Amino acid sequence: MLNQLLLNGIIAGSIYALIAIGFTIIYRTVRFFHLAHGAVYTAGAYAAYTLIKLLKVSPILAVPIAVLLSALLGVVIDLLVYRPLRKEGASDLVLLLASFGAFIFVQNLIQLIYGAQILTLRSGEVKEGHHIFGAVITDVQILILLVSLFLMLVLWLFIHKTKIGKAMRAVADDPLGASVVGIDPERIIFVAFLVGSALAGIAGMLISLETNIEPTMGFTAILKGMIAAIIGGIGSIPGSVFGGFFLGLAENLGIWKIPSGWKDAISFVILIIFLLFRPSGIWSALYDRGGK
Amino acid sequence: MEYLLHILVIAGIYIILTLSLNLIVGFTGLPSLGHAAFYCIGAYTSSLLALRLGVSPWLGMWAGALLAAASGLIIGYPSVRLKGDYLALATFGMGVIVYSIAKNWVSLTRGPLGLPGIPGFSVFGYQLSSPWMYIPLVYVFVLLTLIVIHRITSSPFGRVLKAIREDETAAQSLGKNTSRYKLLSFMVGAFFAGIAGSLYAHYITFIDPSSFTVMESITVLLMVIFGGMGSISGSIVGAVILVVIPELLRFVGLPSSIAAPMRQMLYGLLLVLLMLKRPQGLMGTYRFK
Repeated sequence: MLNQLLLNGIIAGSIYALIAIGFTIIYRTVRFFHLAHGAVYTAGAYAAYTLIKLLKVSPILAVPIAVLLSALLGVVIDLLVYRPLRKEGASDLVLLLASFGAFIFVQNLIQLIYGAQILTLRSGEVKEGHHIFGAVITDVQILILLVSLFLMLVLWLFIHKTKIGKAMRAVADDPLGASVVGIDPERIIFVAFLVGSALAGIAGMLISLETNIEPTMGFTAILKGMIAAIIGGIGSIPGSVFGGFFLGLAENLGIWKIPSGWKDAISFVILIIFLLFRPSGIWSALYDRGGK
Repeated sequence: MEYLLHILVIAGIYIILTLSLNLIVGFTGLPSLGHAAFYCIGAYTSSLLALRLGVSPWLGMWAGALLAAASGLIIGYPSVRLKGDYLALATFGMGVIVYSIAKNWVSLTRGPLGLPGIPGFSVFGYQLSSPWMYIPLVYVFVLLTLIVIHRITSSPFGRVLKAIREDETAAQSLGKNTSRYKLLSFMVGAFFAGIAGSLYAHYITFIDPSSFTVMESITVLLMVIFGGMGSISGSIVGAVILVVIPELLRFVGLPSSIAAPMRQMLYGLLLVLLMLKRPQGLMGTYRFK
């Protein structure tokens, strides 16, 4: 039982970590809570559903297109909503509310088009999983875990080894200094929205292989991703990975003793404890950055 | 006709909610995203007292309002120590937690099944049952809220709240215990939201957790911002317009599977446009800093 809960926690955690990393990459360059990230996640799942199930495109082609579409959605939200606000020097709070508005708009647009019913990306029969250490893991769960770990590695290489990744770190550390040495912050923000939103789209697709697709799925997802990012240490990418797994494990071990309906409440209790006692998160002690 | 009167009753309830949130958000400058929590507590307290113990709604309402104010203390106490977007997130979280309690404490609240058959208000043994009988009742409480919020905001106490909103450090330097003022503002706001919850529950006679989601908090916040933060007449205008406009969608004959998401899209779009073009709202005196 314990092993199964640990495993479920790790799987949930890897999805939370993916959302949190995308959220953090964006946060580092714009410094506000981009809640509409949750709508991008939902859009990724629906894009894959539309291409694969409705238009019968082969998954090999459909997945990259869906990733691209989610990346574009993130960029469009930035260009239409956030960029004009940034120009006016709007506060974090105004941007947060605007992003909430954008989130509600996109989520309900999806509901208007596809209806509120539950859809699924799965096809064929449900196969029994593999037994390891007294726990059961399905093929889809192995895929989720492998893809997430692979993406984390790719991202680490991107941030640390490429020129644009280094520019992104420079903007995150010191936006003014970065612009002094000739890095255009708007260009970096553009890249951040592109990469972060692509990650959200992939996370949305992965989860829809495991569970179902519904218009409201992005709400819980962004809450978990955001909480993971905050408890990990807002603005820190390793912190987001850590926060994601921490939250996934905490929730799933929590339901060992507490009914599963309380999952959301558990994660918010954790968030509020962190906001009060350690708003800079766990990781910032090791990696001093970002806390408020 | 009955339908128009019904909208009028609902508008009255939202005016109370909007005024009470405006005290917290518009007058004190605390961006609360969890107002539905207090609305929920008021509604459930008064309904459960009536259903389980046969307490009259007239009494249950005050119990609901007091419990909402007490939870305003519990929710506000940690929250007012935070600022700006962190305060918004903490109150948001509190909203989700209260919603989860309403949904998961099944032995008390029946969870998602909701509470049916809540008795209505009665006057001299006569049960109020139709919208037109509720209009005077609800609008008496609208008037009461209006008077109290107006008196508070134009009193020396209210001036301290506005001082906190404009510059908290300056207010502290004048020797004001700003945490205490912020907490009181939270509690008064919660109290009236509790009254609104009780009116809603006894009027509709059925409640379930879906009426008290985070979206509900956002809707009320949108009414405050749209009407204008720190403006009492703005709150009335904001609440009435945003209750009536979505009803027009239904009025032109759209089925609710289309009207419901369209209403939300409208709210989302309005929130974005307000932030972009007019963050102080229609008649506001303050905008988020």
